[in-house]
Amino acid sequence: MTRLSKLPPAQAKRLAELDCPDFATRPFVSGPALSRRRVAIVSSAGLVVRGEEPFRGRDPDYRAIPGTTAPENLLMSHISINFDRTGFQEDWNVVFPLDRLGELAAAGTIGSVARTHYSFMGATDPVQMEPHARELAGRLKQDGVDAVILSPV
Amino acid sequence: MSALGHYLEEEGIATVAIGLIRPQIENTKPPRALWVPFELGRPFGPPGDPAFQTRVILAALRLLERADGPVILADFPADDPREAPDPSWRPPAPAETVAAEIAALAPAYRDRLARSGRSTVGLSGLSIEACGATIAAWLRGAPPPSPRPGYSAPLLLRFAIDDVKAYVLEAAAGGARPSSRQLGDWLWQRSATGAALHALRELCLASDDERLKLIAGNFIVPAARVRA
Repeated sequence: MTRLSKLPPAQAKRLAELDCPDFATRPFVSGPALSRRRVAIVSSAGLVVRGEEPFRGRDPDYRAIPGTTAPENLLMSHISINFDRTGFQEDWNVVFPLDRLGELAAAGTIGSVARTHYSFMGATDPVQMEPHARELAGRLKQDGVDAVILSPV
Repeated sequence: MSALGHYLEEEGIATVAIGLIRPQIENTKPPRALWVPFELGRPFGPPGDPAFQTRVILAALRLLERADGPVILADFPADDPREAPDPSWRPPAPAETVAAEIAALAPAYRDRLARSGRSTVGLSGLSIEACGATIAAWLRGAPPPSPRPGYSAPLLLRFAIDDVKAYVLEAAAGGARPSSRQLGDWLWQRSATGAALHALRELCLASDDERLKLIAGNFIVPAARVRA
């Protein structure tokens, strides 16, 4: 488990002390009940659809992952080698829970699942991601998304 | 991840972040976050356990219905049951070289692919044999030119390493349910691929090329697996 005490001391220290932006605002958007929400996944796992351009390094932009993407066509190009990939290899829902969201929508627990999902490469400086994240918000709104689940690795 | 939540929320979209490193969530203070006590790389917990994964997702999504933020930080209460080792799992037989290991594991890789319909091999765009040959060539001190336009030789090496690791780990897991630690112990302590990557790391670290040293230090052997 990622209790820091279980990691090598140097890695635990680096992760715990990772520089995080200090934000001046504290936004908090409310919305309808979960059963009426349209949900998208935004991952930071460096996910990319097979055949498209993988993340090469600390790229600040994102990749689109259509909701119709088959599990065999989702690859992980995150630059870090210091996290487990065997879970994702066995079951993509460990990182990209699209099947679970589909089940929740079918059961009426959530309203619907977004047409398109997205991935960044999480080792990138968040400040460089900012313009891309703000542009992504427009795309999400066009799709009617009013709930995003942010999935790290 | 928490920073992305902040930006999206400022643009008017409600977010909930899964967090694996609790101090990071505490520092960034995203609008809503669920800390999960799982290992890095498994934000929704155990593979092959839809009921558990659904519990995690719902615990996160339910935070969207709370009005007592910002900031909302909740802790998921259960550990990942797949962290436990699978006593029935057996590691592959030893092989001498990466090429021999790839060949020996081919039937197990095909079986797994047929059973799951899925593989995560493919970043390099090369055949798995060519990936193995790329690693071997670098180990001989004779890095091959990149066959992919726009991809430098070091970048292609990185993707070739990713592909070989994915291939041997998918094959080694087979149809059993080994923990990541079991698979990692095999890869980094007993496999030919692991031995080659340890050697490649040492070789690149001794290079005069600063870029190679950087690659060796960060992108070949995980920090927790570097030999003292």
